[in-house]
Amino acid sequence: MFNYFKEYFDFKTFAIALCLVAIGLLSIYSATFDINNGANFHRQAIWAGIGFVALLIAASVPLRTLQRLAIPLYIGTLLFLAFVLVVGSTIKGSRSWFAVGGLAMGRLGGQPSEFAKVFTIIAFAAYMTRPEVSVNNMRHLVVGLLIFAFPMALILLEPDLGTTVVFFIALLPLLYWAGSSNFILIAIVTPLIVAAGALLGTSYFLIASLIAAGLLYYFRENRFAAAVAFGITLAVGLSVQMVYERMAPHQQRRISTFLNPDADPLGAGYNVMQSKIAIGSGGLLGKGYLRGTQTQLNYIPEQWTDFIFCVPGEEFGFLGSCIVLGLFAWLLLHGITVAGLARSHFSGLAAIGITGMLTTHVLINIGMCMGLMPVIGIPLPYLSYGGSALVADMMMAGLLMNFYATRKEY
Amino acid sequence: MIEPEEFGSASRRMVLTVLVFSAFVTLFVRLYQLQLLYHVEFGKESEKNSVRAVVRDPVRGYMFDRNGKLVVDVGPFYSVTVTPSEFDTSNTEYLAMLLDMDSETIRDRVNRGRAISRFAPVRVKRDVDFKTLSSIEEHLFLMPGVSYDVETKRVYTSQARAPHLLGYCKEITDVQLARAGSTYQQGDIIGSAGLEAYYETFLRGEKGYEFISINSKGHVLGSLDDGKRDILPKEGFDLVLSADFDVQTFAESLMTNYRGALVAMDPNTGGILALVCKPDFDPSVLSGVTPADEWNRLNSDPDKPLFNRATMTRYPPGSTIKMMLAAAALQEGIIDEHYRITCYGAFRFGNRIFKDTHIHGSTNIVEAIQKSCNVFFYQLILKVGFDKWVEYAHRFGFGEATGFDLGEEVTGLIPTPEYYDRVYGKGKWTLGNLVSLGIGQGEIGVSPLQMARYAAALANGGILLRPHSVDRIRNKRTNRMDAVEDTAISIGIDKHNMDLIREGMRRCVESPGGTGSLARIPGIVSAGKTGTAQNPHGEDHSWYVGFAPFNNPRIAIAVLIENAGFGGTKAAPVAGLVMEKYLFGEIKRNIFIPGGEPGARRDSAVASVGELRR
Repeated sequence: MFNYFKEYFDFKTFAIALCLVAIGLLSIYSATFDINNGANFHRQAIWAGIGFVALLIAASVPLRTLQRLAIPLYIGTLLFLAFVLVVGSTIKGSRSWFAVGGLAMGRLGGQPSEFAKVFTIIAFAAYMTRPEVSVNNMRHLVVGLLIFAFPMALILLEPDLGTTVVFFIALLPLLYWAGSSNFILIAIVTPLIVAAGALLGTSYFLIASLIAAGLLYYFRENRFAAAVAFGITLAVGLSVQMVYERMAPHQQRRISTFLNPDADPLGAGYNVMQSKIAIGSGGLLGKGYLRGTQTQLNYIPEQWTDFIFCVPGEEFGFLGSCIVLGLFAWLLLHGITVAGLARSHFSGLAAIGITGMLTTHVLINIGMCMGLMPVIGIPLPYLSYGGSALVADMMMAGLLMNFYATRKEY
Repeated sequence: MIEPEEFGSASRRMVLTVLVFSAFVTLFVRLYQLQLLYHVEFGKESEKNSVRAVVRDPVRGYMFDRNGKLVVDVGPFYSVTVTPSEFDTSNTEYLAMLLDMDSETIRDRVNRGRAISRFAPVRVKRDVDFKTLSSIEEHLFLMPGVSYDVETKRVYTSQARAPHLLGYCKEITDVQLARAGSTYQQGDIIGSAGLEAYYETFLRGEKGYEFISINSKGHVLGSLDDGKRDILPKEGFDLVLSADFDVQTFAESLMTNYRGALVAMDPNTGGILALVCKPDFDPSVLSGVTPADEWNRLNSDPDKPLFNRATMTRYPPGSTIKMMLAAAALQEGIIDEHYRITCYGAFRFGNRIFKDTHIHGSTNIVEAIQKSCNVFFYQLILKVGFDKWVEYAHRFGFGEATGFDLGEEVTGLIPTPEYYDRVYGKGKWTLGNLVSLGIGQGEIGVSPLQMARYAAALANGGILLRPHSVDRIRNKRTNRMDAVEDTAISIGIDKHNMDLIREGMRRCVESPGGTGSLARIPGIVSAGKTGTAQNPHGEDHSWYVGFAPFNNPRIAIAVLIENAGFGGTKAAPVAGLVMEKYLFGEIKRNIFIPGGEPGARRDSAVASVGELRR
């Protein structure tokens, strides 16, 4: 009995995910119990229950079924994303400057994009591991990139730049695992580097272009491909600059804040400063649960969403933060192990995609709280307040458990 | 084509593992740096200089009437607060005396606040009058922890009440909070009815933040950087209404003792000029703190003062619908102006007799509208047929939402053969039901708002307009004024046919033998039509629709007075007076005003409304 259990039940993923959810709930309670009568905590607890069901379902779907459902689920997600955009724009349409007034459309849009994370990975894995498909074949690669490009474009239109960037980063381990050549990886990263350079100014653009050219030349497989890749890179950089110049000032500001958060000390900069104080003042053992002065005085706006890591940081100190970080590291390294164990290419690639997506979130979010990363509004998996993100994250844990249990299947 | 040695190869697995591992090592190092190496600095920082963002509510947008008169203003609203961590509980009795409150209540509120956060001020009394506030202010130095804050509340500067048009704001409910999300917090005020609710996103403005330094005990040390970092709240947008509040006030006074609704509309734009529902209530009772019993009283009042009778009622239109049927018959070429029917005072259909009020003799379409000849229309609807009748009813906007910018409205009911099949069963109803519909009786249901729109369409020669109560919205930050677009759809009635119908309506008011003569306006030609809706539960409801001046209409109106009997006696004079007031700015004749003195002039009518508001 015990052996059977050990063989098919991925206790590690299960236990770590539940521990992280519990820590998240404790932190949300601490940050919000004096706001709205703790309504956020109650709501998140309900979402955790729903997420648990999602985890169990994801853990028990047969691999074949998952593979077969990959494309329909993906298309459903795209339709959902598009629907949110259309609903948003009809509301804007009847009063054209509704959007400028700042409606809560982004919130509505934030929800399907969480599920898009899971289903895009599954769809990509399902496509890339078809017997006739290879990542190094140009046509197949383009299809794979398009699988990512559609949801990214829709999310970018919401507009949610942070999530779009996360999608892009999470694509890289997927390509790498699928066996892509170094040249392909480089050719995909260079347009982003050059585009970022273009937004920062002409000199940055030139430097970025030079770096891109060097990289492409060094990793070239043949000169023609390298030249084409460089051409695309330049074209992306130039068009980004052109689009940027035609944007409305408030849109330009949003992008420049994204690239350089210190330029906006009242917004992102203020949060990072306060977040660093909160974590730093925690010390070795922290100030005690519900005793963190920074947390309890609510000086970090909306702390329970993107800056939730400050709560364990301040109230449980270095020890508590290390436990949270350690749990994440353990979970993610285990995710790579699961990917390696899986005999099915599909589940191996999907496991890497999920691990990569979670890793990107964890590194950027915690790095942001400690002032190492730019402030882009993305949640910390399992801990941050937000129903759809929690359910999607628990679904990912369930899938990892699934891939572990079925690791010997082809 | 997959290269097994590359897909998920051991070396690639190792590279990814090393990458993730080293990224986490970086985070651990950073954590060590922040929490152990620089802990002392950050600890001091957190003790000395923690910053708190305090929300500053924006000033809600104002509302002006079409003449630029301020009708909805914003005034101060003071609340006395106690911060539990700083409050000396031995002062409770003294504070209770100053506030004229029970000391037990204060103790209770402070304790409840303390349980949530010692540092957050608790509002012990809201909407404190200015005298009490002054005495508190004099004694502040004796009572640490006691303070007051200022919020804003609505102040109504017009003599009109117009609660169903303007709406009201209330503290946000849990349901609204869950739906609205992070823009709002508990305790925020949100538009909950009428224009306040429909234009909430424009009126509300954006919250600001004031950054203050506080120490770890929660004591306020002062504003951060002398307030240089504060984000000022952004004022809400102003609404410029299409309503004329002098007319609104006057119309309300005329309707005082009635139950019913009045909607006046600009037939060229669809702008609402006045919207009255009676019985109503004074919106200012809801602007500050609404005592629970006051709210319950409004809610449970059998007269339903909160109910918007102008958009939410559904009554048969009676004879006022006849112009619609006439338009269908003329436009479809079924009759023309030479077509005559002889009225013997009743119409036999099958074994039923449908009555008329008079024997009208030989009647053409114009005379039939003028004298409201039922027999003419009984026969006409049978010629037009059910389907065409339904089609034209919808063309005139009946049975459909108007798109009015107050949000809540009923679509009404235009019965169809399918509807009768469903209600009575197939074959269990006869064309006799249709005959009743010809004079606007039976299952047909329309709202006063739809009727006003219908009157406007008759006034402007067949253009159906979207009624709207806001003309323009002003962004106070950019001072840009945006006009609300008028939406107009042609009903598709030829001018010649429309002229016949309008002539019938003119004669109805202006010629001897017309039923609407009480709506006559001295010095001007107007047109209209009376209606009486049969009411199985009591006295009939009285309708009037009309417009003026006849040749160049500037106002269209619909009046519904419940249980008032024949439309010509109660609804018509009200309509005539309101149109006169709008067109001339004053009433030049001696009039009887319900609730006022018989023969009183306009001013005393207004005074009587003023009395009611107190």
